[in-house]
Amino acid sequence: MRRGRRQTPLLSPAVRSGPFVASFLHLATTGPVSLTALLQNLLNGLAIGSIYALFALGYTLVFSILRIINFAHGAVFTVGAYLTYALMGKPFGGGDYVFSNSRLPFALNFWVAMLVSAVLTGLLNVGLERLAFRPLRKRGSDTLLTLVSSLGVSIMLSNLIQNVVGADPLPAPEPIKNLKPAVTIGGATIQSVRIIVFVVAVIVMIGLWYLLNRTRTGKALKAISEDATTANLLGISTDRLIMVTFGLCGFVAAIAGTMVSVNFGISGPYMGANFGLIGLAVIILGGLGDIPGAVLAGFVIGIAQAIVGAYKIPLLSTVFPTAAKDAIPFLLLFLVLMFRPQGLLGRTAVQKV
Amino acid sequence: MNHRRTAIAALSAAVAATTFGLGAPAHAAAPKAGSRCTPKQVGTTQGAVTCVKEGNKRFWKAAAAATTAPPAAAATAAATPAAGTGSKDPIKLGIALGQTGATTANLAQDQTIGVKLAEAFFNAKGGINGRKLELVIQDTGSDEAGAIAAFNTLINSSKVVGIVGPTLSQQAFSADPIAERAKVPVLAPSNTAKGVPQIGDYIARVSAGVASYAGNAIKYAARIRPLSKAAVFFAQDDAFSRSETAVFQDAVKANGIELLTPQSFNVADTDFTTQTAFVQSNKPDLVVISGLAPAGNLVKQLRDLGFGGVIVGGNGLNVVQTFSVCKQQCDGLIVAQAYSPELPDDGINVEFRKAFSAQQKREPGQIAAQAFTAVQVFVDALTQIDKDGKLNGSVEQIRQDLNKQILAGKYDTPLGEVSFDKEGEILQKTFYVAQIKMIRGEASDIFSGKFTYVKF
Repeated sequence: MRRGRRQTPLLSPAVRSGPFVASFLHLATTGPVSLTALLQNLLNGLAIGSIYALFALGYTLVFSILRIINFAHGAVFTVGAYLTYALMGKPFGGGDYVFSNSRLPFALNFWVAMLVSAVLTGLLNVGLERLAFRPLRKRGSDTLLTLVSSLGVSIMLSNLIQNVVGADPLPAPEPIKNLKPAVTIGGATIQSVRIIVFVVAVIVMIGLWYLLNRTRTGKALKAISEDATTANLLGISTDRLIMVTFGLCGFVAAIAGTMVSVNFGISGPYMGANFGLIGLAVIILGGLGDIPGAVLAGFVIGIAQAIVGAYKIPLLSTVFPTAAKDAIPFLLLFLVLMFRPQGLLGRTAVQKV
Repeated sequence: MNHRRTAIAALSAAVAATTFGLGAPAHAAAPKAGSRCTPKQVGTTQGAVTCVKEGNKRFWKAAAAATTAPPAAAATAAATPAAGTGSKDPIKLGIALGQTGATTANLAQDQTIGVKLAEAFFNAKGGINGRKLELVIQDTGSDEAGAIAAFNTLINSSKVVGIVGPTLSQQAFSADPIAERAKVPVLAPSNTAKGVPQIGDYIARVSAGVASYAGNAIKYAARIRPLSKAAVFFAQDDAFSRSETAVFQDAVKANGIELLTPQSFNVADTDFTTQTAFVQSNKPDLVVISGLAPAGNLVKQLRDLGFGGVIVGGNGLNVVQTFSVCKQQCDGLIVAQAYSPELPDDGINVEFRKAFSAQQKREPGQIAAQAFTAVQVFVDALTQIDKDGKLNGSVEQIRQDLNKQILAGKYDTPLGEVSFDKEGEILQKTFYVAQIKMIRGEASDIFSGKFTYVKF
C-alpha cells in the first residue's frame, strides 16, 4: 500500500485561505472599530505572527523529513537568543553560575552577532541530531522514542543555560542604536522593533523558500519528505540531508529567538516553552509538514490574537476577557482539526492500493 | 530476560513497600521464641529473640534485656536518628525553592543567594551555640508537583528541622499541608497570597501579605497626580497576583478612582498587544499591574506606545530583574515594598546589605532580604531552644518546640523588627513605596536602575 498525494490543487493557496482571513476581518469589524485601530492590530499581529511562523518553520522542516515533532526546538531557539546577546558583549545576570555578572571580552555589532549566533546554533543542532536522534534512527526505533529523546534534550538544554548564565531576565538587544520607540503608520502607532522583526522574519522566510524550491538541496529535501526510501534509491544521502535540515532549523531558530529577544527581551532559560506550545498549534493549523501552511498559520494566529483582545467580539469577549488571546491558537486548532484536519492549505491524502 | 523480570519484580516490590509504608517490618518478621534457626543465624538477634545453639539444637531464645525496655522508649529511640542528640552534628534546615521553571527561576535565584548568605553569615558567627547550620536545598521547579516532592524529600529523607519555601503561593497551597501533617515548621520567604499562614499551625511567613502594603502605592499615586480612571491587569494563572489585584482594586475604588473592567494575562506572557490596545481604547490615567518580572514588558510596551499616565506595579515587579525587562521605560514605575536596602537602621540590614553587595555587585532586593530573614528566624529560634536545653531530643520533638519558639520570638532582621501573630502572619513595622529611577546612558546594561524611596 502506498500513500500518494493529489498533485493539482483546485485552488491557489491564497484563494483557499481567503474565507479564513475574511472571517477574522468580519469578526474584527463587528465591534466599535476605527480603521486606525484595525490597522494597528493588523500590524501588531503581522509582527508577532511572523515570529510564530519563523519558529514553526523549524518544527515543520524536521517533521516533513523525520515525521517527528522536535520538542528541543524551543530550547535551541533560546540558545540562539542567548548567543546573540552574549556575542554583543553584554553582561549576564547575578547568581552563582559560571558566567554570573560577567561578559565576553569582545562585542560584535547586533547583525553580525545574530548571524554568528545563527551559524553556531545551526552547528549545535547538527550535534544534537548526531547525539539524540541519529542513534535512535539507526536502530530503527519507534518515532515515539525520538520524541521522548527530543523532550529530554529540551530539558537538558534549558537547565544547562541556567547553570551557565543564570535565570535572570536579560534586556532586549538593540538592532539599531537610538531607535525611536514607536512609529506611526497611517495613524496607527506600533513599536519600531516590531517592524524590524517583521522585515527580518520575511527576509528569512523568502531565503528559506528560495533554498527549498530553487536549489538542489531543497529539491532533495522535498524528495526525502515525499518518500525517503525512493529518494535514497535515487542516490540522495538521507543522513547528510537530515543533518542539513537540522543545521537549517538551528539557523532559523536562532534568528527567531533573537527577534523575540529584540521584541520582549530574554525572559529566562525557559523562554522557548511558550513559543513551543503556540508553534505546535501553528504547524497543526498549517498542516503537519506543510511549509507554506505553517507560514500562513503563523500569521493567522498572530493576527487573530491581536484582534481578539482589542475588540468586543460578541460572546467571545464576555466569555473570555483579554486572556482569550491565549485560547485563540487552540480554539483555531480545534476548529481546524474538526473541519480541515489536513491543515489550512493541506490536500487530502489519497490512499492508493 | 529472566534477569529483567526479576529486576522488575524487585522494583515493583520496592515501590509497593515505599508507597504503602511497608519499610522494615522488623516486628512482623521476628521469629517466635523457641522456633528453629539456621546455622548461619547463630548469634544474630531479630527483634526480641536471639538464635542460640544449645547441645544439638539451634533455636530462637527470648533475650531478657530487650523485653524489659518499655515500648514507648524504644519507639522514641528509633525516631531520633537525624537531629543528632547532644552531638556537634550540623543542624539541617530544608530549603525548597523553584530554582528551575519559567515562572520561578529568577525569583529563586535571588532567594538562593539570600539563604546561602545567611548560612555563611550565621555560621561565621558561631552557628547555633557552636553547632553549624547546614542547608539542604531542594529544587521545587515552578509547579505544585515539584513542591510536594521537595517537601516530602526534605521531611522524610533529609529529616530537616524546618523548611524555608516554597517560592510561589500557588505551590504553598499544595505543599504546605504536607509539612502541616508531618508537624514540620515552614517559613514562607515569598508567599504573599491571602490565606497562606492559615494553612496550618506549622505554617508562617516572613513575606507580608499583600493587603498590608499594596494599597500604599495607589495612595501615593493618587497624591502625586489627580487620577480619574484606572486599568487593572493581573496574571490570572498565579495565586499571588490574583490575591494582589483584589487589594489593588479595593484601593483604587477607595481613592475615588473609576475602575475599568479588570483584565488578565498569563504569568509568563511577554507580548501585551491585547492589553496595550485595551489601554489605548479606554484611555485610563492609571495602570496597575500584578504579575511577575516578565510583566515589565507591559510597562515597556505601554510607554513605547506613548502611554503618559501613572503605572503602579505589584510585588512581582519589585525585583531588580524588572530593570532588564522594561529598561529606560521602567522610569517612574511606582511599587509598594516590604523591604528597603536603605532601612534607616544600624542593625543587621547594614551587614546583610554589605555582604550582598560585595558578592553580587548590586543592592539586594526584597526577595533576597526575605529569604535571608527566613533563615535568620530559624537560626534565632533554634539558638533559643538550645539555650532552653530542647535541642537534644528527637527531630520530631525539635520540630514542635521550634515551631512554638518561632511564633513566640521577636527578631531583629533586615526587614526591621519582626514577629508573628498566632496564625503565623508576620508582624512587620515598616513598609515602603518606591519609584524606579533608571540610570541614563546605561540602558543596555542590566540592573542599571534604582528603587528610590518615597514618603506616602
